[in-house]
Amino acid sequence: MILLNEDDIYRSSTQYKFWSFTLDSLSSLRNTTNTLAANGVREAVLQQKQKSAGVGNIEDVTIDCLTVEEEQKLVGFYCVKAMQLADFCDFPTNVKVRLVPSCPFAYQIADVSRAAQATAVQYLKRFYLSNSPMTYHPKEIMRSAVFLSTKTENHYTSLRSFVAKLPKTTADDILAPEFLLTQGLRFTFDVRHPHRALEGGFMECLAIARGQRGELLKNTMMRIGSSEHWKKGAAKDTDQLVARIQGAHGRAKDTLKTSALLTDVYFHYTPSQIWLSAFLLADQPLTEFFVESAMPANSDMKQRLVNVLRGCAKMLSASLSADPGDAEMKELMEIDKKLYKCRNPEKIDLVSMNKAAKREGGQEGELDEKVIKKRKLEREQKADDVFGPPI
Amino acid sequence: MAVSPMITYEQQSDPSPSDTKQLPLRTTSVSSLQDAAIAATQQAQDFAERLNEETRSKYVKDKKLGEGTYAIVYLGHLSRDPSSLVAIKKIKINTEFRDGLSMDAIREVKYLQELSHPNIIALDAVFSSKNQNLNLVLEYLPLGDLEMLIRDTNGIQYGTAEVKAWMGMLGRAVWFCHENFVLHRDIKPNNLLIGADGEVKLADFGLARSFSDPYRPMTCQVITRWYRPPELLMGARFYSGAVDVWSVGMVFAELILRSPFVPGSTDVHQLEMICEGVGTPAETNWPGVTSLPGYVSFDKRSLGARDRNYFVSRFGTAGPIGVDLLMSMLALDPRKRCTARQVLEHKWWSVEPQPTDKQDLPKKGGGMEKMGEDLKRRGGEVDDSRSERVARKLDFGAR
Repeated sequence: MILLNEDDIYRSSTQYKFWSFTLDSLSSLRNTTNTLAANGVREAVLQQKQKSAGVGNIEDVTIDCLTVEEEQKLVGFYCVKAMQLADFCDFPTNVKVRLVPSCPFAYQIADVSRAAQATAVQYLKRFYLSNSPMTYHPKEIMRSAVFLSTKTENHYTSLRSFVAKLPKTTADDILAPEFLLTQGLRFTFDVRHPHRALEGGFMECLAIARGQRGELLKNTMMRIGSSEHWKKGAAKDTDQLVARIQGAHGRAKDTLKTSALLTDVYFHYTPSQIWLSAFLLADQPLTEFFVESAMPANSDMKQRLVNVLRGCAKMLSASLSADPGDAEMKELMEIDKKLYKCRNPEKIDLVSMNKAAKREGGQEGELDEKVIKKRKLEREQKADDVFGPPI
Repeated sequence: MAVSPMITYEQQSDPSPSDTKQLPLRTTSVSSLQDAAIAATQQAQDFAERLNEETRSKYVKDKKLGEGTYAIVYLGHLSRDPSSLVAIKKIKINTEFRDGLSMDAIREVKYLQELSHPNIIALDAVFSSKNQNLNLVLEYLPLGDLEMLIRDTNGIQYGTAEVKAWMGMLGRAVWFCHENFVLHRDIKPNNLLIGADGEVKLADFGLARSFSDPYRPMTCQVITRWYRPPELLMGARFYSGAVDVWSVGMVFAELILRSPFVPGSTDVHQLEMICEGVGTPAETNWPGVTSLPGYVSFDKRSLGARDRNYFVSRFGTAGPIGVDLLMSMLALDPRKRCTARQVLEHKWWSVEPQPTDKQDLPKKGGGMEKMGEDLKRRGGEVDDSRSERVARKLDFGAR
């Protein structure tokens, strides 16, 4: 007999198996990535200089590489950019004409685009665990991440219309890094978000407030005192209680849209923990009441859970701004300037790299007429060497 | 809900592959990014690339089993154990679809990566070959598919106990998909492959998707026609797991009849056959049906819903309780159709006869070539030999 609960299902997810870390393992992973990339840059630059200066004239080069913190800030900035791009793609100026007939609730459209947006940001964050901005510039990966997320989140728009919305961008610019991106994502495309769970919790709170879970529970909920964002103390009537819950829900939703995506909480906490933590930030006594109402009586679980939520909430509060100020922008410009001098020269032209990789594999995929011939050729090659030419 | 966040956190504070082993589910070994990072440091190499190469080197491709427009299927084996066979499905990229990785490939990889269940084809690994084609390493299922067994009326004899065993395995697979909020959207006998031990495995997730959010429309151009429920034929854009349950009901009917129950030749003909075989949709048996975008009135020979006696006369071999189950899976109104969970909770499973043990189920061989044939298809596609029911061109752009 197979008994499944939510935890079993979550533990079989790739998000848990591949993309969950302790604080230490995550930071050591980032350090290794940074060291590797810096070595790669030095080697590539050295080789280039040797080539231009003749054999063996130059023994070493000193390059001022990005630190892990600088990499993180830069990736964080492009996560914000990815969110803006996803927003921009989903809300063209003719939004009313294009979207409303098929979907009568504008509020729901916003929720839908959020899924693709949130996924794009997580793709970027996951990709840069094993790749450095010094090797692949986040500006280029970001566009591909947004495009890939439209495909994986059932929000597909044709590449042609996607490209048309971006300045100075060709279809090749989007497609060239796609393979690198999917490889960096370890071919896992599913991201488990906390957004739906928040909606479920919100509905459950409303049900309690309206007495649908019994008068006793409702009355306890009415008596909850003031919190940081709710100054009116215990609720006088159901309407006031509902207003309080709606306020908390709105604030939690904003947290999930911004800091939950930009911080590392997805790497350390489950979706349920993340939404409850966002709710905790929005209205602590209300969240504690809610958690307690869901726990068996006399259990020490509540306190343990609240401790976990506090840790997550702390991380959420320390988020980068989704709207960087002048000082922050200045710092980012400095980092980008520094990056200009320490990029890996071998990995800058992704479009050519991608074409070369495909040629190497014996498949060009350029012209329709050639497809049949190409397949035949491919088959013949495969017969000799199923994995392609030696590495 | 109550225990959910707590237990997960304890596990997560020390995530290791061994944690997942306590699951009563299929587990595959997981190489961690950290390990790859250490190895990569020694070799000065991109470690995503290194992980990929590590995976690739675990398998050896042997001969080609089949080739379709969408994929080439190879027989393969583990490098360290030549007797351990796998099927390697190489997805062709950059052929027709100009927008990078195709939607079917994304869907198949995305969902098979998440779903580990004895009755769902196992995706052991994914890697890319040098030319950037995706390779899916799938479990090797050499005994053909359910369709072969149904069709071979001369060579294969089976009864209710066998049907019950197959239906049980199919029911668990579909329940597991829905429990994970995944709609399969292409259930049919030739997507039900059979393992060496007789276990039935649901395959081909090229049309799968997650349950939609409220108010978010989905495409109705899914599921091979004979197995497509009336709401999709009438253009419903908001639907649920009930679409898969209808397909399961159609497979059940086909297992008993040993031929497709309602094999329509066009979409309109399909609806006519459903009216004839199951009943005519009308406001009385399906409130709201007339407001579906593709609603067609079949009033002239309206039969209403077919009654129990009719079903008993055609499917009586399943026994009276089996007929109840079939009728609840083929309810015209998707809201009245039973859910995948209700299918598993049905009392048919506990009445005589007991389902046949999987190792005693009839087998036909099928062989490796048949698996190649089954896996190379694109979702909604059918064998050339049965081209009369080719699904309409799928509109992947529809949301």
